[in-house]
Amino acid sequence: MKKVLAVLLVLVMVFGLAACGNTPANNTPANNTTPANNTTPSGPVKPSTPETNPDKIADTMTSPDGKYQVAFVTDIGQLKDKSFNQGTYDGVKLYAYNEGLSYKYYQPANGAEATDDDRYNAMKAAADGGAQVIVCAGFLQAAALEKAAKEFTNVKFVFIDGWNLGLANVAGIAFKEEQCGYFAGYAVVKEGFEKLGFMGGGGGTNAACCRYGYGFVQGAAAAAKEMGKKVEVKYTWQYGANFQASPELQTMANGWYTNGTEIIFSCGGSIFDSIIAAASANDGKVIGVDVDQSFDSKTVVTSALKGIGAAAEWACGKAFDGTWSAIGGNAVSLGAAEGATGLPTATWSMKNYKVSEYEAQLKAVVDGTLKIDDAVIQAPSYPQSTDSCTVIYE
Amino acid sequence: MSFLIQQTLLYAIPLMIVALAGVFAERSGIINLALEGMMIFGAFCGVLFVNTMQDTEWVFAAYREDKYATLQLIIILAMVVAAILGAILSLLLSFASINLRANQTIGGTAINLLAPAIVLFLIRMLEGQNTLFLAKGDAAEWFMIKKSMFGYGAKESMGFLGDTFVHKTYITNYICILLFVILAIILYKTRFGLRVRSCGENPHAADSLGINVKKMRYAGTTISGALAGMGGFVYALTTANCSSNGDVAGFGFLALAVMIFGNWKPLSIAGAAVLFGFFKCLAAGYSSIDINGDGIFMLKELGLSPHLYRMLPYIVTLIVLAFTSKNSRAPKAEGIPYDKGQR
Repeated sequence: MKKVLAVLLVLVMVFGLAACGNTPANNTPANNTTPANNTTPSGPVKPSTPETNPDKIADTMTSPDGKYQVAFVTDIGQLKDKSFNQGTYDGVKLYAYNEGLSYKYYQPANGAEATDDDRYNAMKAAADGGAQVIVCAGFLQAAALEKAAKEFTNVKFVFIDGWNLGLANVAGIAFKEEQCGYFAGYAVVKEGFEKLGFMGGGGGTNAACCRYGYGFVQGAAAAAKEMGKKVEVKYTWQYGANFQASPELQTMANGWYTNGTEIIFSCGGSIFDSIIAAASANDGKVIGVDVDQSFDSKTVVTSALKGIGAAAEWACGKAFDGTWSAIGGNAVSLGAAEGATGLPTATWSMKNYKVSEYEAQLKAVVDGTLKIDDAVIQAPSYPQSTDSCTVIYE
Repeated sequence: MSFLIQQTLLYAIPLMIVALAGVFAERSGIINLALEGMMIFGAFCGVLFVNTMQDTEWVFAAYREDKYATLQLIIILAMVVAAILGAILSLLLSFASINLRANQTIGGTAINLLAPAIVLFLIRMLEGQNTLFLAKGDAAEWFMIKKSMFGYGAKESMGFLGDTFVHKTYITNYICILLFVILAIILYKTRFGLRVRSCGENPHAADSLGINVKKMRYAGTTISGALAGMGGFVYALTTANCSSNGDVAGFGFLALAVMIFGNWKPLSIAGAAVLFGFFKCLAAGYSSIDINGDGIFMLKELGLSPHLYRMLPYIVTLIVLAFTSKNSRAPKAEGIPYDKGQR
């Protein structure tokens, strides 16, 4: 009996470890079939009227020749994360669909534990699959991207959230996340919220999330100062290092809401699910990230938008219309001036803070009269408290 | 305080009910290592059921018109669905280990490998991605019991008991507790329960008294599968926003540990589950716990590293197991295929 117990305990431990990350290895979506055996294969056609709603375009399509010209390699987290991956892919889909090109997405194997090799393999699969341009989302792809770009020199790579890798076929696109974080922080304080929270993904090392967080605190502090108030921001990177929802994160958010936090900035892909679950249970509010998330939950007040979709669409355009040299081998940082950061005005739900006020502020950022610090403050440091804004780091 | 109790129950209840699932199987003589797999499968089936029902007109109408009773009924039905499909999955284990007399550890492991694979395969077929979410809204908005349902305003208090045990809870909590009590009584106070237990201790003696060992073992494992499937759905509903992704964060294995820790006895298991849930809650929410309500968050002000709190549930389990495992007494005949001819 002791032996059986011992075996059992060992198994508990082994599987307990294995259970930490058993997201599946899904290299490619289901549609990697060979061309259908009908007689006259017809490729995708350019639609007569351009589609503007990405949700109306299927995520997977079957190309008759088995080649997919525009490819997308996801960041960790799943494709439909209602945020970063999904938003970027929306841009890829829009471009490909409206130009009559075939498109496909590739998820690196091993999910959240994807290695550089897994990412490289996904890029290689895309290149071998006939991709002319590969959009890679997320700064984690850098090493794999460099390897793939050196190998497939005739394929163009778009590196979203990236930088200049010094390769002519790679275009880095970064964003000024501090701007949209600032807008969101400023807006909610002006709206009347006083106890804010920030939950970031990536464990405090993701540069984009760090800029979002710091911008958010600066915006909240600026608004509070103008209003002569004192606000409080709880700031954490504790959960969501893999941009995934978890019961622990939900408990933590529940705790924050229970103790008076009114609104939490959910800054990290799928962690959104845990936070809206907690918000909904406690009648709290949420600020979305990357894309307009108000369609996903009634608790979303506003979202810190970053034009990932538009940027992906724009960069794909450069790859196909012969103007690639303008961005290839280079890096651009898109911000309010390029219309790449902001808040969603179409789904505006705030009452005390008006669209006109937001637009005035946006203009100030565009023309440079309002400067926002773009420092990347990585954990374990965190934005310092100011007279008008207390930062509580957890 | 309410927060602490509610969040503790959130973790404790799935653990408790799944650990009881383990007890039923092991007390009948079958080691059920497949609790994790059955939970994953049950979670998927329940979530799929809820997801499908949300799209039907009458359920959506019930949601729109705030007919809470109908929505609670959906949750109960989803629990039943998860239980039935969990039971069906457990038949694989029963068949292999009772009829084919296969090694039960290997059978259970096989199901643990099989279940997430099947679930992910199905989710990808259905949704084209790795997670199955609710079709609309979120779990708390649709299915959570809130004080507004009883006519209380947002600022009104229901009193300590109401705020803790009614407001912001799920009906699944109470169904699980009720089932736990009923099944514990069945296991100890009825003829059926005695027979099941006898098959886990000395099946030959049981057989000599005319008890059908095969039947009892099938019954034990099937109840086990049903409870594990249901526990999986409860986990998904209360802690994962009613989503399924082929993963229950190792709760099945934790439940096994809770079962051993609780010495295969329901009451001790309930205690062990609450202890474990308490430390899980402490790990994630220590900074928000204000026990006496004076606005001072003592645990946070201690200034200890959050990692320490996150280790606590596991450290405590190790310590307690180290001290109690001497008295631990597994059912004698568990893991041994029943062979009539063997003496």
